[in-house]
Amino acid sequence: MHRLIEFIKRIYVLVIFIFVEGIALWTYASSSPYTEARLLSRTTAVGGAISGAITDVGHFFSLPEQNRTLVARVAELNELLQSREDVTEGVVADSLLHVNDDPQFRYRAARVVSMTTNRRRNYIVLDRGAEDGIAKDMGVITPQNELVGYVVSCSEHYCVVQPMLNTEFSTGGRLVDNNHVCVIRWSGASKYEMEAVELSVYSEPRKGMEVEVRSERLPAGVLIGTIEDFELNSAKSAYSATISIAADMSSLDNLLIVENRHYGELQMLIEQNEQR
Amino acid sequence: MFKNIAYFWMTLAVLLLDIFILNQLSIAMWLRPMLFPLIVVLLPMEWRTIWVLITSLVVGLIMDMSLGGAGLYTATLLPMAIMRRTILFVTTGRSVEAGDQSSLLSRMSLRQLMIYVGGMLFVHHTLFFILEALSFGALLQLIATIIFSTLLSLLIAWPIVRLFTSKIVTK
Repeated sequence: MHRLIEFIKRIYVLVIFIFVEGIALWTYASSSPYTEARLLSRTTAVGGAISGAITDVGHFFSLPEQNRTLVARVAELNELLQSREDVTEGVVADSLLHVNDDPQFRYRAARVVSMTTNRRRNYIVLDRGAEDGIAKDMGVITPQNELVGYVVSCSEHYCVVQPMLNTEFSTGGRLVDNNHVCVIRWSGASKYEMEAVELSVYSEPRKGMEVEVRSERLPAGVLIGTIEDFELNSAKSAYSATISIAADMSSLDNLLIVENRHYGELQMLIEQNEQR
Repeated sequence: MFKNIAYFWMTLAVLLLDIFILNQLSIAMWLRPMLFPLIVVLLPMEWRTIWVLITSLVVGLIMDMSLGGAGLYTATLLPMAIMRRTILFVTTGRSVEAGDQSSLLSRMSLRQLMIYVGGMLFVHHTLFFILEALSFGALLQLIATIIFSTLLSLLIAWPIVRLFTSKIVTK
């Protein structure tokens, strides 16, 4: 006991310093999405290797399940390819040929290194970074084509994704049935539900209607979820809806990072237009 | 005994100068002098580290609240409290002995004092600008900011340091 007290006496200044410094850094990191993402990616670059080694063991034991998913996906893609070949047989389909020659969207597989789902500003760290061609603003989806989030920061070997479960997340959405657009965001209330706001009064939302992403960062057809509930606002000028998230955000593992090769060009065009 | 009044006025002057003048200056992106680390730099060397740490925390919080640093000023000032004696030893070769260190700063030669103050400012500015940028993308600009800002800080700080240390001796 005496030795313990002596030991504490010797290190208490250091302990207090680490504690207070930790609080200061945490406060600073939380002050803006930039600092949060940057500090997270820096610390992850160190911790990522350790975390990666641990998750590798988990991945090993989940290989059979992953194989089944991949085989199902390959079968699905083969089916899609076959149907396209059938359509183009004997007919020159320029648009399809063009897409095959120079795909606008490029997909890269990535694995989750670490993630949180119990905070208001959650983040996911993936094992792909700038070295693999990953950059800010790329979209992240599940192999089942469901939205997960967007890349907000990269280190050399890792990237940080702002998932839908982040109160600062926002993206465009589209009702599949009638093309009406809306803004998708997360209120922080439930990790299974998103909010769709600013839906036109003519959009006629209904329960079970699918909502897709409408963003220049992702191709069409990426599913956000299905409408669970909706209501007209008090001014009767727009609908807001609760969306049940399609992706299981608490058990993400293998993901796809989507790069729109025309994104820079599109952004430049939008900026030029805004400056006019 | 350490001259508390001289120290109080120095602290007040440095804080006011930093918050109301230096922070408002926009000379160049790579030239941002900061004087508030002086408060920790010039604390009596015989003070126990815990008190230096508490002072750093208070000064950091004042700076953060005044300039909206959101913890940045505190996070970069706290390590100075821990590293102070090490930097003193590395820069001047002097170590702090128990008992008779009440006016160590005033007993240092001008060269030693300048190296010590410059070293402390350099370490602080390095931590501050790296943590502020959180990126080594513009490494040359970062290095230029650290070096030139440290030099300008030292230039502005030197008269204050001299006045302060002379007050310690004369009072």
